[in-house]
Amino acid sequence: MITFDHVSFSYPEVTLPALHDVNLTLLESAFTLISGPSGAGKTTLLRCLNGLVPHFSGGVLAGQIRVGDLDPVALGPEVMCRHVGFVFQDPETQFVMDYVEDELAFALENAAMPRAEMRSRVSEVIDLLDLEALRYRSLATLSGGEKQRIAIAAALAFRPQILVLDEPTSQLDPRSAREVLEALERLNRELGLTVILAEHRLERVLPFADRLVYLPAAEAPVVHGVPDEVLGQIDLVPPVTALGKVLGWSPLPVTVAEGRRFCEAMPGETISGPDIVRQAPQVGLPALPTGAIPSQPKWQSPAGAPTQDRECSDDSGPTLVAEGLSVAYNGKPVLMDVSLALYPGQVTALLGRNGAGKSTLLKALVGLVPHQDGSVWLSGRETSGMAVADVCREVAYLPQDPNALLFAETVLDELHITLRNHGVMVAEVEPVPEALLESLGLVHKVTAYPRDLSVGERQRAALAAVLVTQPSTVLLDEPTRGLDYDAKDRLLALIHRWRVEQRAVLLVTHDVELVAEAADWVVILDGGGIAAEGSPVDLLGTPVFGDSQAANPFMPQMASLFPGTGWLTVADVLAGLRSSPVLSPPSPNPGGGES
Amino acid sequence: MHPLAWFAWLGTASLVTLLTRNPLYIVLLFVIFILVMDVERASQRASTDGSGYDGAPSDRGLLLSPLRFALFAIPAGAVFNLLTSHMGETVFFRLPPAIPLIGGTLTAEALVYGAISGLVLVTLFTAFAVLNLALPVRDLIAYIPRAFYPVAIVSAIAVTFVPNTVRQFRQVREAQAIRGYKMHGWRDWLPLFLPVLVGGLERALQLAEAMTARGFGGGARTHLAPVARISLVAGLAGVLGAGVAQLTPTWASAAPAFLTVGALLMGVAIWHAGRGVKHTRYRRPVWHSVDTSVVVACGIAVVPFLIWVESRSYSPYPALAWPLFDLRLGGGLLGLMAPAFVRRFSEQSDDHI
Repeated sequence: MITFDHVSFSYPEVTLPALHDVNLTLLESAFTLISGPSGAGKTTLLRCLNGLVPHFSGGVLAGQIRVGDLDPVALGPEVMCRHVGFVFQDPETQFVMDYVEDELAFALENAAMPRAEMRSRVSEVIDLLDLEALRYRSLATLSGGEKQRIAIAAALAFRPQILVLDEPTSQLDPRSAREVLEALERLNRELGLTVILAEHRLERVLPFADRLVYLPAAEAPVVHGVPDEVLGQIDLVPPVTALGKVLGWSPLPVTVAEGRRFCEAMPGETISGPDIVRQAPQVGLPALPTGAIPSQPKWQSPAGAPTQDRECSDDSGPTLVAEGLSVAYNGKPVLMDVSLALYPGQVTALLGRNGAGKSTLLKALVGLVPHQDGSVWLSGRETSGMAVADVCREVAYLPQDPNALLFAETVLDELHITLRNHGVMVAEVEPVPEALLESLGLVHKVTAYPRDLSVGERQRAALAAVLVTQPSTVLLDEPTRGLDYDAKDRLLALIHRWRVEQRAVLLVTHDVELVAEAADWVVILDGGGIAAEGSPVDLLGTPVFGDSQAANPFMPQMASLFPGTGWLTVADVLAGLRSSPVLSPPSPNPGGGES
Repeated sequence: MHPLAWFAWLGTASLVTLLTRNPLYIVLLFVIFILVMDVERASQRASTDGSGYDGAPSDRGLLLSPLRFALFAIPAGAVFNLLTSHMGETVFFRLPPAIPLIGGTLTAEALVYGAISGLVLVTLFTAFAVLNLALPVRDLIAYIPRAFYPVAIVSAIAVTFVPNTVRQFRQVREAQAIRGYKMHGWRDWLPLFLPVLVGGLERALQLAEAMTARGFGGGARTHLAPVARISLVAGLAGVLGAGVAQLTPTWASAAPAFLTVGALLMGVAIWHAGRGVKHTRYRRPVWHSVDTSVVVACGIAVVPFLIWVESRSYSPYPALAWPLFDLRLGGGLLGLMAPAFVRRFSEQSDDHI
């Protein structure tokens, strides 16, 4: 058992405490999910478990922490590493060696373990995580999910009783994330390993967790317990739980499987998929001018959805077009004959596994990567021969890591530098930089040092830096990485605003819930080529993927809950249910057994 | 190939490169190293597809192409020597002697010698690049004395860190390009340099934290035992004494003895300090007959160089002359291609299996 008894902690030279009077008990052999908004102290809490806080971080710690019979503060990470394995968010930042087997043995070599014992332990973790096929591979050749499984295996080499993971799936596509989580579940169920995992995307992890801890941002008490009880007390919940709350389902469903039992109890005609209208949410941002949102929403689902055609709200042609684009690195094809068109006022989502070529496609569109074949057209002009800077005056491209963009002293300076690079005077742009920052919710951060901002704020500062020239097209690469639900809602509102402003948006993401909320058109990239494209309803709403009859890995929770209805979001479901001829709240006890 | 065989190859390659200024031999060595590198790279590409998971080029060993380095180093060496060395008889022109450092005669001999020095530098760089490409990180650190284990780990991290930094630099350059950034002057490096520096520090901190979480540094010795400390001080005194003796006519003959004793004592200090470092090795490389053949081939390459001193030497000073080429030495140098033959041989064996 792990206990936090009135634990408070402040980092050096920071006045606000990262943890404030935390009282918490984590059960042995449980799979515990730690959630909460950004800055709530999740990472700090995890680092307390192996003594990294305060031994590595410095700072002032008050209260008592016990990990079983051990005191991590007294023992420090050198001793605690044998009891608590730790896996970080980005596996690449924790690797020392260059080959899988050497990486697994690294900690054991440092502990001066006899060679025979090392061999036994390395083989053991390879068996546990089914890594035999990767054993002799170079780490540089592995996918994100494979790297994360190697990081987990390396953390388990000491046979710890507890495994702590800090957002281990945040950079993974849904399938890779599921592989990692299934591996963790197996370790938890079969070996009794205590798993403690922090993650923003609750919908991913909740199906595997049997305990949930919610750390609030303010100095409110920590909420912890079984997931459905905790979810009932907090606002940041996955879609299936949000729906359950609205419809009064009890106990609250945590997973799609649990939600499905309630659905089965609903009358058939209630979920027959009547016409619904999908509304754009406006969350956390200043209101748009009256009349900015068209009276007729641009697309409807399912009856009014543009299933295979891409009719736009006006007659304008595409702003950015790729025709038969092929890209190769060292002769190895990465993109093959990819054609894509981005229309004003439309949000196109690009989905696909890690390594499918999504980021390469974005780079090829703006000219950062040369293409061997095909062409790119921007507002009717072919871009070959155009400088990247000239393309990017009309195309805002936000790369995966916004940190690469930020270097100025203040957020406002970042915008001025972009304008200066493009040879544009501040007076020539509308809105002016300050107004743009205000529209992005950064008005109070104008003079802040960009790298001191939170993940979501940094992303919006980087966005402002590329948007200041008022480009007609916006390309976003994994924009929800590391964002909490609140920051994600802000991003969603921005995307909807761009649609209203008639910008073309291309969204590369693994976040299918975001795609369900935001996208008008979905393109699925696989192995460097377009595997499928169509409306979100067509591609996300069916349990099988295309004609292959393979399970669709891109279904949002609502589509899984109501397959075949075309409902992708909670708002879709509620609108559909309201317009249904029969709407009766289902039985609170769907099993029909004990009450 | 066994790491020690690789180290023998590198030692031989470096020695023969440094022993001569004859451009014909150096060019031959450079071509041999490029061929060995090419075979090694082709072999690695065959096993890993030569690229990262996302299809982007894998960076290890390819940070800076030797040919690209040659394009910079040879002209730079030639120009630097032309301007700073005023030896030689074939005078291009004279700069006023009042100009510090570069004032004086600028000669063809200085230009040629500088270019040859640049070529030596490029050839050495290529030999080390081959080793970096061929050996995994574990082998690079496994043969560093135990006393320097933490230093070895830092070196290993540097080896893996550099490609990441290059990748990050590429990301930052791309990110700045999409903001309309163009290079005009040295001040324009700031948008590239600052994010790379800050990002590098952040990654270093993350890695340090991850290593701490895995127990690295636990129980490390922070001070030397008295025996090691005394040996180290006495050894340093011996080496220093050798230097002083060399300068004193009456003691000059004793300098080698001082040097030997000093080196031995320092070796004892390092060995003793290493005993306190608790560390084991997961792998024990196995020595095969091919490793012996590589070492023999290295011997064939270096021994003629040590015997026929006159043949290897060349100097443009005081007069330019066409360098001689001794077939015995040139033929011996081909022994340094042994790793390429071993790699090809082992791949063919694997194919048959």
